[in-house]
Amino acid sequence: ECFKKKKKQPTATLTVQLTLACVSAPQLFYSFFKSLVGKDVVVELKNDLSICGTLHSVDQYLNIKLTDISVTDPEKYPHMLSVKNCFIRGSVVRYVQLPADEVDTQLLQDAARKEAMQQKQ
Amino acid sequence: MVLLKNLHPPTEGVRHEQAETTAVLDGQRLGCGTLYVAETRLSWFDSSGLGFSLEYPSIGLHAISRDVSAYPQEHLYVMVNGKLNKENEAEMAEKAADDDDDGSSDGGDDDEDEGAITEIRFVPSDKAALESMFSAMCECQALHPDPEDDDSDNDFEGEEYDVEEAEAEHGHADIPTFYTCDEGLSALTQEGQATLERLEGMLAESVAQQYHMAGVRTEETKAEFEDGMEVDTAAMEAGQFEDADVEHCRLTVRHKQLHLKIAVQ
Repeated sequence: ECFKKKKKQPTATLTVQLTLACVSAPQLFYSFFKSLVGKDVVVELKNDLSICGTLHSVDQYLNIKLTDISVTDPEKYPHMLSVKNCFIRGSVVRYVQLPADEVDTQLLQDAARKEAMQQKQ
Repeated sequence: MVLLKNLHPPTEGVRHEQAETTAVLDGQRLGCGTLYVAETRLSWFDSSGLGFSLEYPSIGLHAISRDVSAYPQEHLYVMVNGKLNKENEAEMAEKAADDDDDGSSDGGDDDEDEGAITEIRFVPSDKAALESMFSAMCECQALHPDPEDDDSDNDFEGEEYDVEEAEAEHGHADIPTFYTCDEGLSALTQEGQATLERLEGMLAESVAQQYHMAGVRTEETKAEFEDGMEVDTAAMEAGQFEDADVEHCRLTVRHKQLHLKIAVQ
């Protein structure tokens, strides 16, 4: 869905599934998001609302604070227009879209694999 | 006219109390009253004692609204998952949030529409209090994380991957027992803790790099994505995307597993 909103159509979607079970998955996410503070992200909620903003902070439950937000579909959600900063409950987040050049995917893959192997022991 | 229940304001754990606060629920003014940001729940009562309360897990988002050209007064904006029913506000919102499907829910909020929300604005007469109101809500939200529950991930759309199947096919053992965030750290072995620290270090040091596709783990896939795009696995050879412009990535937690989706040009 989010791809349709983009101006350019991606030619392929590559999915990297990083299998990372149990305890360290939330921790890895927390660490990962901490490293993204200050970057621009788009948070898509489970109710389909998408919010662009700068990642201000994240906690261990992946509650997210965004600043300087804008709503990607203001016609559907006009009430958010006047909001600059918000707190988003982690449990309502469906996706966090990241600018690709902010993500060291290789590092993330490596980190996740190592962690998965660690957990298997 | 929304019927308000006659409840009692909380007496304990009130992080912030704001009198002379008007509540507007889905555009309907409920009158002037007092907002209580308590550790157990968020509630509002007017001078006659009628009001409503919200459970924090049902509150998806809250924010300070300051742009008076969009809404004439500065206020605290609260987005509640689900629709508030006249009879059973907090309970309804929570049921909608939990996506509970044992039996039918009261009041017939049967559409189970994840998109259904209730927008509430709390307009204090004292605008300077908005920051405190906002912060108090943030703090209280952190007190109510979701319970560790596999089913809570079920409202992701579709079965993008059957991760258990993928695990099995790759010869992995059963998925280990899950720990809550709180327990997890203490349950880590020394090695696990060292790994976590190393990970945190690695992630903290990471800088934007040229995107390399070497070593991509290709999944089984006839997996369809929720946007209907199928992956051409043949294209996922190592090195294929070295020069690609990565459009964006998506990172999501699902079934306690990390899914990273990267769209490439």
